[in-house]
Amino acid sequence: MKTQELIELLARRAGPVASRAVQRRLAGAALAGLVAATVVVIAGLGVNLQIGAMGGPLIQKLAYVGALVLAAGWLTDRASRPGAPLGAAVAVVMGIVLTMACVAFVTLLNAPAGQAGSLLLGSSWSTCPWRIALLSAPALALLLWAIRTLAPPNGQVAGFAAGLLAGAVGALAYSLYCTETSPAFVLVWYSSGALISAFAGAAFGSRLLTW
Amino acid sequence: MRAQSGDEAAYRSALALAAARLRGYFLRRMRTQPDDVEDLVQETLLTIHLQRATYDPALPLTAWLHAIARHKFIDFLRRHGRSTALHDSIDDVNETLLSLVEDDLTARRDIGKLLDRLPAEQRQAILDTKIEGLSVAEAAARSGASESAVKVRVHRGLQRLAAWVRSET
Repeated sequence: MKTQELIELLARRAGPVASRAVQRRLAGAALAGLVAATVVVIAGLGVNLQIGAMGGPLIQKLAYVGALVLAAGWLTDRASRPGAPLGAAVAVVMGIVLTMACVAFVTLLNAPAGQAGSLLLGSSWSTCPWRIALLSAPALALLLWAIRTLAPPNGQVAGFAAGLLAGAVGALAYSLYCTETSPAFVLVWYSSGALISAFAGAAFGSRLLTW
Repeated sequence: MRAQSGDEAAYRSALALAAARLRGYFLRRMRTQPDDVEDLVQETLLTIHLQRATYDPALPLTAWLHAIARHKFIDFLRRHGRSTALHDSIDDVNETLLSLVEDDLTARRDIGKLLDRLPAEQRQAILDTKIEGLSVAEAAARSGASESAVKVRVHRGLQRLAAWVRSET
């Protein structure tokens, strides 16, 4: 076929591009993943009934995880488009983690002597990251599926970003159940859970995200 | 690409522009396989069309275009193997020619036709050294020319054959 004919064929009735098509596809996948993870938390783990009484620490926790969802979402969006720079989105993700690290550091400094350990480890450090990683699985699967229809220039990077987003989504659902209040705990173990998911995403991404 | 809003004519001209750019991009990188360039241009145009939603109007269009072209190019190399890019030197053409002469009757007939078009002394030198397998010294003794003259004849003859073969394929 002549190239000119191909162009004619493609241009005919091409129609307008849906506005924000990429964002919509990614947000849809993340939201569906959040719903799935929430259902698993409610049915499998049970909701922490004292959650309403947690006050400040809960807001802190939700702010951290929520900000991470948005930033990782932006990063995933960048990583799914050819030729889009990642730098700014990476910087924002780092900035959020760094801010949380400062908050955690201050609480550790102000903690009464001998309590720093329990602030860091809480009572559930050994299960928290794994549960978050498992809860992020549905979101990760849906996101990878969505990104397959887009054009990630580097499958591994896009997979990592999707995993991070899925991990943050999983952490959001997990915070319904979690009874920990220390920012140091949230920083270390929530982030570990999201990172497990991110590395899983990178491993899958390098194989699945081809176009 | 203002063409994203659904203006058919604008989209058509944008695609044509992209095609011209892509042709240049691939030509620069695949001098040895000009036949594949147009295929790759079309394949990339198709991807551009299917992925036009992933272009963010806030970013430079050329970066988007080049990222897709690069992806397609790497994809192409992976599919065809890098080695094919190296298979075009004169030495290689000569060697395939010679092995065909030994193996394949129809090829021998074609080569015979081409050999007939060579000047007699070049043809004789090639037949002696490459097909009968004589040494340069023996061929020189047979034709009565000096050894270096035989070498020069073989070399020029092969060069000419290679040029003919390439112009025909």
